[in-house]
Amino acid sequence: MIHLQDITKVYQTKSIETTALNRINLQVEAGEFLSIMGPSGCGKSTLLNIMGLIDEPTAGHIALNGQQITAYNSRSMARFRNEQLGFIFQSFHLIGELSVLDNVELPLIYRKVSSKDRRKMAEAALEQVGLKNRMRHFPGQLSGGQKQRVAIARAIVGQPKVILADEPTGNLDSVMGNEIMNILLHLNQEQKATIVMVTHDETMARKTHRLVRLFDGSQVL
Amino acid sequence: MIRHILKLIWNKKRSNTLLFLEIFFAFAILFAVFTIVTRYMRQYNSPLGFDTEHIWVVHMNFDNITDTAAVEDMKLRLKSELEAMPQIEGAAYNGWISPFSGSNWVTASDANGFDTETSILMAEPAYFELMGLELVQGRWFDLSDLEGRYTPAVISQQFYEESFKGRNLRDSIYELQGENRIVGVFKNYKYQGDFTKEENATFFMRHPKDIDLPNLHLRIAPGTPAAFEETVNKTVASISRMSDFTIEHLETTRKVQNREVWVPVVSLLGIAIFLVINVAMGLFGVLWYSISKRRAEVGLRQALGASRGAVMGQFMGEILAVSVAALLLGAVFAVQLPLMEVFGIAPLNYYIAMGLSAGLILTLVLLCTLYPALQAARIQPALALHEE
Repeated sequence: MIHLQDITKVYQTKSIETTALNRINLQVEAGEFLSIMGPSGCGKSTLLNIMGLIDEPTAGHIALNGQQITAYNSRSMARFRNEQLGFIFQSFHLIGELSVLDNVELPLIYRKVSSKDRRKMAEAALEQVGLKNRMRHFPGQLSGGQKQRVAIARAIVGQPKVILADEPTGNLDSVMGNEIMNILLHLNQEQKATIVMVTHDETMARKTHRLVRLFDGSQVL
Repeated sequence: MIRHILKLIWNKKRSNTLLFLEIFFAFAILFAVFTIVTRYMRQYNSPLGFDTEHIWVVHMNFDNITDTAAVEDMKLRLKSELEAMPQIEGAAYNGWISPFSGSNWVTASDANGFDTETSILMAEPAYFELMGLELVQGRWFDLSDLEGRYTPAVISQQFYEESFKGRNLRDSIYELQGENRIVGVFKNYKYQGDFTKEENATFFMRHPKDIDLPNLHLRIAPGTPAAFEETVNKTVASISRMSDFTIEHLETTRKVQNREVWVPVVSLLGIAIFLVINVAMGLFGVLWYSISKRRAEVGLRQALGASRGAVMGQFMGEILAVSVAALLLGAVFAVQLPLMEVFGIAPLNYYIAMGLSAGLILTLVLLCTLYPALQAARIQPALALHEE
């Protein structure tokens, strides 16, 4: 499903060259729940961003569903992200001025779905994460766990093939973290969603199918 | 998308209020300036109706004369001697109210069974051709009309359209200044100046010797040197034996009078340009600030599938929607002025000013939004999301 070949990412300034990722080769199969672990600054999020087509590698090839991403232009990549990928971030990234329902509807706005259908789909996604009763609330009125559940609803509302989660439990306490992890496991098991999750938490990582460890930009496991 | 943008604007109404007010007040001020400028420019562009180039006016004063017959003889002699000069192509007397004099005499009446309101002007028959007025109906009066019972008059087209359209002019006598026979209609005569509006005007005929006609208009041959004024001066002085007459160059007076309007109009436009620059800078600043505060949101939207075009469209759409709302509110207030027909300004001037102000502001908003919106579209999503 996702095939990364010799992915290298180098950040270059005038005086310093920093290698964030060094020749990473990784294959993620459909329906797999993969976790990526490693110390801070080892390149986990960079790798996830490259997988999510929101960052570009300095070298290497990405293939998604067998198609080389280099063939995509900016508009095609935006459409691909919209239709095939769902993002969950550590800091939720909800838009404070929009209600929970409107936040969840956001990916559908870029997909020309009618407002009636958007609303239906967003309500269904919120029901899946148990937040339908909060859909008129604004992010500022929610707890951290609730915010992350909204973010999950937003990630799944467009029924993407892959969910990319960047430390989804990183800002939550253990109870809420478990709650979020259970939702992700449920999505993987029941809906066969492919999930790639970056985490610091060994316990969470062990619940996934496969664990990839990074150190100083290189894959060590 | 439009609904989404409107929802965002509504939910961020507090932060949008400043922009809304800025656009609203900019519109209000531009509307006021453009109304004044439009009014003046439209009046300026409407024809003056008579020539000013190569026209000199000898202003004489017959207020304290005792021997009317002598003055009448003097007037005819003066005209004839001046007309005999090769540098003078023609001469004609008109009444106290000469072009650009700042004087006017208006009379209103319903004695004819309908309302009439007109400026009263007096001239001898030769005046119209000398001044280049355009006849659109009937004829100019001539000296043979003096033998008739009723004083002949020619009226302006505007006066005709306003009060006499569909009425019989040829065989009727109307009460204007006494009983008058209207013999012709002329096109325009904006004797108050280029920047004034056309007024209803009526010329009544007088004999050139009449002391009611103290201003002698001279058409000077092109190429005549300015020094010729001295010759005219000496001739007038010797024939009239007066010392308090003046010689006016009508074109110069016109230019001086116009300058008195141009200066405030240009100043107003200067203020408007200053305002426009301020609004542009304000808009630019607000947008830069807004985008810098919303980098993470831009990154998020791109991650969720927004193309660069969609990001640009979103920012431009938000600003345009706020601007259009402010302009609509401004238009609601502005439209009251033409509806109530206040300040004596023609409604079309208000509507043109509204269109110009709204068009200018929208253009400005689009231009000021374009670059920041383009910058927003170029934000690297991974970087923007990481920053937060």
